[in-house]
Amino acid sequence: MEESNETLSVGIDLGTSRSSISASNGERHVIDSYVGWPVDIVARKLVKKSVLVGRDALDNRSMLELRRPLERGVIKEGSEKDEEAVQELLRHLISLIGIKQKSKNRPKVRAVVGVPAEAFRISKQRLRRAMDGIADSVMLVSEPFAVAYGLEALLHTLIIDIGAGTADFCVMQGRYPTEQDQRTLPNAGDSIDEQLAKLIREHHPDAQFSIHMIREWKEKWSFVGEPKAQVLVTVPAKGKAAELDITNEMRTACESILPPVCETMIDLLTRVEPEYQEKVRNNVIVSGGSSLIAGLPDALEKALSELGGGRVTVVKDPIFAGSDGGLAIARDATSSDWEKLSL
Amino acid sequence: MAPMEKVEQTKLRILREVVRDNIEGVHRIKAKAPARRNFFFPLWLWATFLIPGVAYLSVPTHGISTGNHSLPNSAGVESTARPLPSTPEQPSEDDVLRGMPRPLNRAVVPLAIKRVIIDPGHGGIQHGAISDSGVSEKEITLDIALRLRRLMEKSPFEVLMTRQSDQTLLLGKRVAFANENRADVFVSIHVNWMEPREIRPLETYYVGPSDDPAIVKLATSENRDSGYSMADYRRLLEKTYLDARRHESHLLAKTVNTTLFQSLNTVNPELENRGVKMAPFVVLLGTQMPAILVEVSALSNEEEVNLLTNGDYREKIALALYNGIHAYAKNLNGAARKGS
Repeated sequence: MEESNETLSVGIDLGTSRSSISASNGERHVIDSYVGWPVDIVARKLVKKSVLVGRDALDNRSMLELRRPLERGVIKEGSEKDEEAVQELLRHLISLIGIKQKSKNRPKVRAVVGVPAEAFRISKQRLRRAMDGIADSVMLVSEPFAVAYGLEALLHTLIIDIGAGTADFCVMQGRYPTEQDQRTLPNAGDSIDEQLAKLIREHHPDAQFSIHMIREWKEKWSFVGEPKAQVLVTVPAKGKAAELDITNEMRTACESILPPVCETMIDLLTRVEPEYQEKVRNNVIVSGGSSLIAGLPDALEKALSELGGGRVTVVKDPIFAGSDGGLAIARDATSSDWEKLSL
Repeated sequence: MAPMEKVEQTKLRILREVVRDNIEGVHRIKAKAPARRNFFFPLWLWATFLIPGVAYLSVPTHGISTGNHSLPNSAGVESTARPLPSTPEQPSEDDVLRGMPRPLNRAVVPLAIKRVIIDPGHGGIQHGAISDSGVSEKEITLDIALRLRRLMEKSPFEVLMTRQSDQTLLLGKRVAFANENRADVFVSIHVNWMEPREIRPLETYYVGPSDDPAIVKLATSENRDSGYSMADYRRLLEKTYLDARRHESHLLAKTVNTTLFQSLNTVNPELENRGVKMAPFVVLLGTQMPAILVEVSALSNEEEVNLLTNGDYREKIALALYNGIHAYAKNLNGAARKGS
């Protein structure tokens, strides 16, 4: 709304697995939420950096003290190293949109950051602290609300933002959502990964794999319901390459989040005023990385059939829906608003 | 979708609320501290049946016991310093005459703990206690419960939670959930709020009568959103003391409280062990298995709040709860093996 060369609005979706940033200068980036420091002087010489962020960190993980500093969508507690890692992550995101922290002509950064719908106050305070020195003013909003705002889906809509750490729900009823309108579940992408790893380990005890491989498989082939094709992966087993059919394991792991997600969706819908329930049921929007699970909208619609039916759609750009929404909020807020929110 | 003008107006209005909420976040609103919960029933209405109910239970009658004779004082507080008994306490002749249910003879009835229900107190619109700095009981209890579940999932126990997110859940539904799932043990996690604020209490409750006004007040407060009618509540009160599970609840409470205190005292020497107490909380009355309610700390004391907002401390609480439940189960299973 009130933008000048001296200010830059940004929306940040700080995710457990991936973080994205959308800026008013047109830049948009997504990175893996990993930060790593070289373990020793040899590693430091090889990687040629004092700290690595995102894919860089992941690719060089054997030489790094690797951190995934976000847990259930907020900074992991009790570890200064993770707080430091989040700051590095934020600094990196800001640098990607062309902001040099030490530049004299650096514009004032006004940031809207998405957090889980039911993040602790204390977690929000920690995040605000982490933003100090990186942005000039900060607003924290719930992730599904940011998505709703960006889509202008502010009335009679249910947003379900399924990320890695949490699944966040928010019913939009033409007002800023209260606690009653929102829910957060820990059943999301990470819990699918854990379940998938457990099932593969049980069914293929000789197979060797890492959690990073599990995540890659899930991102390529996750589905609920009927598979479109067999899910075949190649892994070392007792040192030899072996092809595994993990179709059933993939389905079971992905479907493990359905009961809590459906139950929460239905619970929230039944709390909507009766005259609007049908409208909301027909306007369920799914976002977040895990919204890309094939067959998910159909499974949710099936659950809605118990209530008389409904329509579920996936946002066009699940990776950036949160940060774009944050950017929209940042742009719409006035300068006087931002002054009140300066760090 | 509404016409464009309307959307813009809505956005503007919502944006004002977002900004206001964030400004409040920055300045950390001072909470409405001791106002623990919203009333579903007015307090006087609760008092009319809760206090007579407790009084009724405190009167010795045939068929309805006043409970354990070893009660050291009127508050029902017992020391947890003595070692845990490995065998059930034998009821005195008086107890038998008064119709007190005999404790289960574990050697005769093989028992095992398989399914544990964890109940994070409050949730959703029921915040529970709120500290001056804005930390609410519902957040802390859920976090500890999720940590406890993670620890228990690595053990032979099957773990179920009454809530896994910030949802409003009536006490009656928690009870029904535990009973329908035929749990072996029920552990409800709470954080207290009490005056004077210097107190840094740890206490564990199991079902039973109490004439301590402070406990009656706490039970009134915790039972507020029970969803039970007065008739339901009276029925629960009448039934409970014919129930042999109270003895097991007592043992569980003692084991868990001792483990918690021993563990937390190492990092929190100011923690006051207020011991094991009896109280008529709805979740303890209605559940059909050994059940306890643990008040792990108090949000009225800011130093406790500082500890509670530290993940390591909450992990320590979860681990101590796990160890307590595990020790109780081991004791029970050991006795069962001896008898088999």
